[in-house]
This record gives sequence, structure tokens and C-alpha cells, in this order.
Amino acid sequence: MTAVIEAEGLTKHYRSVRAVDEVSLRIEENTITGLLGRNGAGKTTLMQLLTGQEFATRGSIRVFGESPVESAGVLQRLSFIKESQKYPDDFKPKHVFATAPWFFPNWDGELAGRLIDDFRLPLNRRIKKLSRGQLSAVGVIVGLAARAPITFFDEPYLGLDAVARQIFYDRLLEDYAEHPRTVVLSTHLIDEVANLLEHVIVIDQGRILLDDEAEALRGSATTVVGTRTAVDSFVGGREVLHRDVLGGLASVTVGRLDPAERREAAELGLELAPVSLQQLVVQKTGAAAEPTGIEQTA
Amino acid sequence: MSTVETPTRPAPAAKAAGGGRIVAIARLHLVNRWQVFAIPAMILLFILLVNIVIWWLIVRAVTDPADLADTREGLQYSGASFYIFVYAIVLGAQGVAYVFPYALGMSVTRRDFWLGSLLAFVALSAVYSAFITVLATVETATDGWGLGGRMFTVLYFGGEDAPWYQRFLLFFAAFLFCFLVGSVVATIYQRWRVNGMIVFFAALTLVVLGAVATITLSESWGLVGAWFVETGPGGLVAWSLVVTVLSAVVGYLLIRRSTPRG
Repeated sequence: MTAVIEAEGLTKHYRSVRAVDEVSLRIEENTITGLLGRNGAGKTTLMQLLTGQEFATRGSIRVFGESPVESAGVLQRLSFIKESQKYPDDFKPKHVFATAPWFFPNWDGELAGRLIDDFRLPLNRRIKKLSRGQLSAVGVIVGLAARAPITFFDEPYLGLDAVARQIFYDRLLEDYAEHPRTVVLSTHLIDEVANLLEHVIVIDQGRILLDDEAEALRGSATTVVGTRTAVDSFVGGREVLHRDVLGGLASVTVGRLDPAERREAAELGLELAPVSLQQLVVQKTGAAAEPTGIEQTA
Repeated sequence: MSTVETPTRPAPAAKAAGGGRIVAIARLHLVNRWQVFAIPAMILLFILLVNIVIWWLIVRAVTDPADLADTREGLQYSGASFYIFVYAIVLGAQGVAYVFPYALGMSVTRRDFWLGSLLAFVALSAVYSAFITVLATVETATDGWGLGGRMFTVLYFGGEDAPWYQRFLLFFAAFLFCFLVGSVVATIYQRWRVNGMIVFFAALTLVVLGAVATITLSESWGLVGAWFVETGPGGLVAWSLVVTVLSAVVGYLLIRRSTPRG
């Protein structure tokens, strides 16, 4: 596999805020990567850096082997769909779909037309008057129809209803299968996209917490549920990712368990439950500061 | 529901690369034909119409030949066409404020954005100038729309006797100046946001105030007036080009370090 995106020691400061802090990563060609993290974790800034829209304070970026900043050669093989994209004041969606093909050599007008129908997007309404979901649909359509070798989606589904989001996931996978490309997707709806992702990067406070194959992450953690004493004796000295206690019952998340350990847990009358990607991210980024306690982490 | 309109489906892929992207950016500025061509032309023609009515009223009211000559003398200082230059300043500013964030979203380099924008401004200046030059020619040919009126052959644009190409060049330089000044101010905003605007306009105010104070205190307004007369329209155009080119360079340097914010 070849990495099409590489970052080394990438750092971006805004005055005193370290939006992105010493990030190093590699993203392989023709994979779908999820960039996950809380609001303000640095996802958007990281994407802006990788697409040459923001200037790094420190560190290096290589996209197709060269810095994306002001490189026409790199940029025209890349599309960045961001939630906050601005459009000229008087633009209507039809203007976007008329002008976008000028900039993306692989633009597929037929696909765009199909997506416009799927999302029931009004072409002749001013962008300013579109609903949040319709505005997101404009970006999603550009991102898919542009067929750029690298596509960044930054929270692309804001305001899209469940049906429209499903359309987005379906079309993305369909088109990805026919025209493999590298997709980086930042999102809050982790459970929804979990099956889409081949690679997962979790970022918190500008730092990378997790960077692994999605396959490896599935089953990388297990929740053990049972009486408090039984759970405590089973967990012992293991590293605890998360712990909820409610009266005499405990629910503790630990790392990967081998078959022998699973048998042991069963003998102790403990229940084992796989931890979803979303729960894993929540526990990694939310509850880190509270190893004990009875509060549930949302 | 007035939803999907299938006929306006996107055109098939246009292969764009290098210079193609610069031209594409220029086209981006012209997507809204209505705003860029129709509205300014309509307003200009409307002002012309209003002026023609006023001239007609004057000609009717003033009967003494001496007074009439006086009136015609005064009309050569008309500022009726100035609106179109203000419009150019606004278009220049909007071109950066609105098109720049969109262009970056279309994966365009800042360099290509700026060059494409300059191309659009040059093209627009040429079209506007040609339009006004034609109107000026008509104005001369009809002896001021039959009423001795002056709107496009006023003194600042070379007066009544200027040849058409001189007029065209004067208009062209004036438009280019306005587009560039408007856009360079917008690049200051893109680069430093509100703080940049405050500092820029504060500095501009101080510079103008300082100049006025210096001229007033040294009682040299006469010299300033003489300089303008001596320099003449052609000379002023040359000076405006200095500012225009400077704006193009400064705008380039600023936009190269700008990031559109959401």
C-alpha cells in the first residue's frame, strides 16, 4: 500500500490555542478513513492543513508526495467538502453544478444529476435560502460527483435527515467500489459510519489518540458486566478504559480478551459485550479523566 | 414542488489545468451575467434618461444664448457617470469577498485565484469602457443628445474633442483602478478580518487628514489645483496606473497568506 497523505509533527497554533498538536499520520491510497473526535478537537483544522487551506505553524505535509499549499498539481486531485463552505452571495445550486466541473477534471455530470434527484435538491433557489440539510446536500453532491482522487468530507451531513444520510452512505460506497479513491470523513455520527470505515483516526485536543484499522478496533475492547465483586476480581490489574458502577453492579470496559479469558469470565457469571466504535471513541475522548464514579458517560 | 429541473444538469467534464483554471476563475466572476452586465448598464441608461429630461427642461427654460453657453460650460463637469465607477469598486470587493472562499472550496490555488480575478477585472474594464466609449461617441455625434448635455464626454474623460481611443483608455484605466482598489481592500479583510479593516481605514483617514492639513497650512491648494490641470487626464491615468499596479501586487501578497473563515 502507498500512503497518499503523510503528515509529520504537524502543529497549528491560533494564538494560545493548539488546534493541532504534533500530529503524524499516514493515510493509504483508496481507503475510507474516519476522522473522529469531539467538537473543537481539531478535525476541521487538520483537514484545512492537509488541503492547503490553512498554514501550518510547524511540521510537514505530503499529499501525493508534495506540499499541498499552493500546489495546483496536488489541489486539482483533491476536493474538500466542508460544512462551513461559503458560496457567492447570489449563487443557486445550479450555478454550483455548472461551475464545479471547471475545476474537477473527473467530474461526472450524470452522477451529479442522479444525486440531485435523490436529495430532491431545488436547483433554482438561492443558496442563502436553502435549509441546512439542502446546503449539506450541495456539498455532498459536489464531493461525490467531483470524483477527486482524494476527497475530504468535513461533517458533510449536517441537517440531513436519516434517509438522506443513508443515501449519502450508499452512494459513497457504490461509487467508491466503481471508482476507488481516498476518502477522509469527519463525523459525529460514528455508529452510522462505522461499517463504512476501513481506517479510524481519533483526535482529541489536537492530538491523535487512536490511529488504527477499523477491523483491529472492533473487538479491541470488551465491556464486562456483573456484580461488583465478580467484575473487580476478574478485571484485577488490567487497564480499565471505562467504569460504571450502579449499586452492587459494575460495568467495566477493558481491552481485548483472549478465548481463555472469555471462558473465565463466563465461569464467574459475567456478561461480555462488544464495545462499538462510538462507545470506544466516547470512552477514549470523554471519560479519560474519570476512571471511577457512578456517572454515566454520554 | 418546484424542485429538480433536469435540463440544467451539469455539463460533462471540462478538462481544466494550469491556464485553464485561471480562465475558469475569471469565468466564475462572470457567472451572474445579470449582476455584472445587465444591472450596471440598466442603471447607467436610467441615469442618462433622467439627465436627458433635466437637460430638456434646462434648454426649455433658458432662452438667452449667453446663459445657454454658460450652462453648457457647466455641464462639462457633470458627475452623472460616477456611479458606474463606484459599482466597479463594489464588484471588485465582492469578487474577493464571495468568490475567494468558493474558489478555495473548488481546490484552486490562491495564485490562480488572483490571476483569474485580475483577468476578469481586465475583461470587465474593457467591456464597460467599450460600452461607455460608444455612448460618448453617440453623445458627440448628436451634440449632447440633441440638447447639449454631457455625461460621457465630461472634462475628466478628456472633454469633448478627445479621440475615441483616448476616451477608451481613460475609461479603461479608471475602471481597472476601481476594480483593483475595491478588491485589494477586500484582501485586507480576508487576511486580517475586522482588525485589518479598522487599522486600514484609520490609517487611510490619517493619511488623507495629514495631506489636507499639510496643504491647507502651507496654503498650497492653488498648487495642487495647478498640478491637476497641468497633469491632465492622461497624466492622471498614468498616476492611477501606479496605484492599480501596486494594488495588484499587494493584493497578491495578501491573498497568498489568507484563509477563508467559516
